[in-house]
Amino acid sequence: MSEAISQAALRTLTAEWIATGKLVAGPTRVKPDLVLYSTLHSADALLLEGFVRPSNSIKEFVFPKQEKLYGYRIQGNRVELINNDAPLPEQIVIAARPCDAAALPILDHVFNWDFVDEFYNRRRTATTVITLACNIADESCFCTSVGLGPVSERGSDVMLFDLGDHNYEVYCVTEKGRDLFSGKTEKSGQTVRTPATPGKKFNPETIRSFVSQHFDDPFWQEHALTCVGCGTCAFTCPTCHCFDIVDAGPSAGNARVRTWDSCQFPIFTAHASGHNPRPAQGSRQRQRILHKFAIYPEKFGEILCTGCGNCTRNCPEGIGVLSVAMEIDPIETKHG
Amino acid sequence: MDNVYEPDLMEVISVRQHTPDVKSVSAKFLDPERARTFSFKVGQFGIFSAFGYGESTFNICSSSNWKDHIDFCFRRVGRVTEALWKIEERDMVGFRGPYGNGYPMDAWKGHDLIFLGGGIAMPPIRCAVWYALENRADYGEITIVYGARTVADLVYVDELDKWAEFERVRVLRCVDPGGQTPDWKGEIGFVPHVFERSQVKSKDPIVLVIGPPIMIKNTLPILDKMAVSPASVYTSIENRMKCGIGKCGRCNVGPIYVCKEGPVLTMQQLQALPADY
Amino acid sequence: MSEANVFEPKIVAYVCNWCTYLGADLAGTTRLEYPPNVRIIRLPCTGRIDFNLIIKGFEIGADAVLVSGCHPGDCHYTAGNYHARRRWILFRELLDVLGFDLRRIHFTWISAAEGKKWQQVITEITEETRKLGPYTDLYANGAAKSLPVAAPAPFKTRTLAAEPELREHCHKLLGEGTVKVVIGYGERGPAVVTRADDTNRLVWNTRCCSNLTTYVKRKEIKALGKPAVVVKPCDEKSLVVLEKESQIDRKEIHVIGMACEGVGEPKCTFCTARTPRFADKTFGEPAGPEPMASPPPNRFAALMAMTPRERMAFWATQFDRCVRCYACRQVCPMCYCERCIVDKNRPIAIDPAPSRKGNFAWGIARAFHLAARCVGCGECSRACPAGIDLALLNIALHKAAQENFGYDAGVDPAAEQVIGAYALTDKEDFIR
Repeated sequence: MSEAISQAALRTLTAEWIATGKLVAGPTRVKPDLVLYSTLHSADALLLEGFVRPSNSIKEFVFPKQEKLYGYRIQGNRVELINNDAPLPEQIVIAARPCDAAALPILDHVFNWDFVDEFYNRRRTATTVITLACNIADESCFCTSVGLGPVSERGSDVMLFDLGDHNYEVYCVTEKGRDLFSGKTEKSGQTVRTPATPGKKFNPETIRSFVSQHFDDPFWQEHALTCVGCGTCAFTCPTCHCFDIVDAGPSAGNARVRTWDSCQFPIFTAHASGHNPRPAQGSRQRQRILHKFAIYPEKFGEILCTGCGNCTRNCPEGIGVLSVAMEIDPIETKHG
Repeated sequence: MDNVYEPDLMEVISVRQHTPDVKSVSAKFLDPERARTFSFKVGQFGIFSAFGYGESTFNICSSSNWKDHIDFCFRRVGRVTEALWKIEERDMVGFRGPYGNGYPMDAWKGHDLIFLGGGIAMPPIRCAVWYALENRADYGEITIVYGARTVADLVYVDELDKWAEFERVRVLRCVDPGGQTPDWKGEIGFVPHVFERSQVKSKDPIVLVIGPPIMIKNTLPILDKMAVSPASVYTSIENRMKCGIGKCGRCNVGPIYVCKEGPVLTMQQLQALPADY
Repeated sequence: MSEANVFEPKIVAYVCNWCTYLGADLAGTTRLEYPPNVRIIRLPCTGRIDFNLIIKGFEIGADAVLVSGCHPGDCHYTAGNYHARRRWILFRELLDVLGFDLRRIHFTWISAAEGKKWQQVITEITEETRKLGPYTDLYANGAAKSLPVAAPAPFKTRTLAAEPELREHCHKLLGEGTVKVVIGYGERGPAVVTRADDTNRLVWNTRCCSNLTTYVKRKEIKALGKPAVVVKPCDEKSLVVLEKESQIDRKEIHVIGMACEGVGEPKCTFCTARTPRFADKTFGEPAGPEPMASPPPNRFAALMAMTPRERMAFWATQFDRCVRCYACRQVCPMCYCERCIVDKNRPIAIDPAPSRKGNFAWGIARAFHLAARCVGCGECSRACPAGIDLALLNIALHKAAQENFGYDAGVDPAAEQVIGAYALTDKEDFIR
């Protein structure tokens, strides 16, 4: 026996949350061929089936694409700082994928590494994640290669499992989850549909040792020849968190703003002197792999990747972490 | 909310121009409590702001023993430094820090110290020199070799004279061949060669060498001949920075974040790093 | 004296130093009264007035913007105002598509002797703007309509008949050393092949979307030596523009043209050719595009059928999704600036933050910097991870270039470019 909820009841709950002023987000169909996590203004917009995963990630709810750090007022030679202490609404993300939810505890490490980023932490505290376990995968998925899977609970406050017939088993992982769903579910004897389990496609340890020990291998430059150096992979990735701090002066509102940035941009590491430690796209591609599979694990014990496949699906030229990994260490296994 | 990105406000006490494109600034904290409790280790850096223009990373080039102000020195080369170039006494700047690992001055106690610097690399050496001179008894013989392309490019020149007045301190200043003026009384030659010619004799010294890559490259064989281990040779590396606190993912050289595990590295550590800087 | 509750519009006027500024000065010295609502910004010439400045005027709170300079023929720099006029013709079209209120943007010629005209123009504009009210609609939300989009027809990936010939040709090119690198399509996306043995990695099928000409400008590719590049007829047009702009030497590239059977939406919406025209070697026969379940709606016409307010709300919804990944810029063959204006910071001309305002500014800059240069390959729309209909902006300018100057980028290598040239007969019915 498990607790379950019907899709209709789930939508009713969603409508209630929206009506009480919470910020509710979930997958929505933005265009016929594009599903994105967006803020829901009505429960009908919530999309629960018919796609593998949205093309963006849920990191924008804890790490938004722009965050005002503080404002300043200049009068003559006096400066006054104006803090950004606006209260945050409670946030609920519905129907996140396990590969999105798992990214949050992974990101917790860097945002609390010695210096504590309260912008991130307070959004994290304000957010409840309801994860919908996967029952389909595509050829870009590789969560099982990085230690996760279609029913992984990491980062989730509530797990929903598709029972078929528009019903979901509800498993509350945390207190936050129980607060949302207590009294809202019914007993059910249905069994969960077998989740899709993509077979392992590579061994991350091999990637780690390759990028660390073959730093100057011509592989990096060759592989990156078709990379055009945009930020699509980094910005749609659930775990990429590199950022810029911008001060654009009075016409931008006299504020310091944190914005997403990508190590793939040519000027990411450009010095004012003109020197650029990573002048070629290959060195920039290598940096992404190094950061995800070597540096982050070394510092925080976790791979900075959840195998969601967004980088591969969204890349305008078909590259991504998976394509790099498969060239370094392909494992030919049957899919589960 | 504790805002780790919010700077302290500082008021400029004085501005000094060293070369056509280098200035240094002394500033004090506006908040007396912050001024009272602030401390740092020489070798650490700060992220200084010009409000309306942005932030920039500079070494704190004053001694950590000086309690009423801190100094920073910069070359006018981009958006923020162009804005900082215009500041005057009583203007306000922002400061975040101190960040980075600093020089292990305690571990250096009891050793002879050799400082080798080129051009704009004087400021990150200056703080260590003053600290050592202020704690004179803790350190052995001190040798300072400082040079620049031309006489006009030398920074903090007057302090070189002051340093030479301390006991057991040897100061050599030099300019590249062709960079001397008719009344130049210092050495002529590149820093590594002037250092070699000076025939410094020392057993187990600590060496701090900061300068352009070519200068460091030419200095290492000389230190090798002196049987100085790469673990005793220190440098301070630069990289593009934004947050300064290990989060924005920009400043890493291979596995090392310059803002957290640097900027001070030994040659042994630097040589183990990949060519990512 | 104005009553406390009468709306006082803010007018920003960008004027040229030699004519209009002196004209305004003359109005002052001859004691002609005119409303004090105008803030004058003096520039050397209207030719220097970047379209970005017009947008900036609105961004900082102007309710109307005026741009004024010397009469045609009187420009202190001979032709600055001719260049400006041509740019304004196109820029107004772009602003219209975006839903800007064109009643708030004014252009005029005022000479140094025309103090009276300055007085008249400012008085008229102030009163017109007062009646329009404050410009609160700028980048405003609204009940945004969405454009009708055809349901995607099931698209089958088919290998096309010319694939073996293509591989053989590339094998020969590399084997004989005619070229050092082949830029073609591979299994997952573009493929760069430098060895003859690897040419079996090349494919030619109905998923070959990317415009490969964007690679010929990348320094890592240039370093490999003389390239061969596989192009569809839409991509080929980029090479015409690149050569016109002296970015490539056509003789130094071996162009392999592939007759196209379509690669699906959004690219094929803008299809104008299925057979390459300028290739060194052509393969395949165009068999017509894949039959669509229903004809794609004319999205551009649907957009222009909306009111300006609705159009702006539409673009606000689109640009709110922009994350500034610059995929649109990086995939575009025509975006080859060593450092893009949005990456420059002295000054910061376009707000780099992904705010709605910053995203509009970037979208406008990108579209306008491609005015009459874009060949309609549709890569920008395809590459955008947020599904923003970027190509619509490019199409608007493409139409404007065709209608006003009879110019179709990338079609006729001998045709004179639009931006950078001018004609004495360029229209000025929108200029006072």
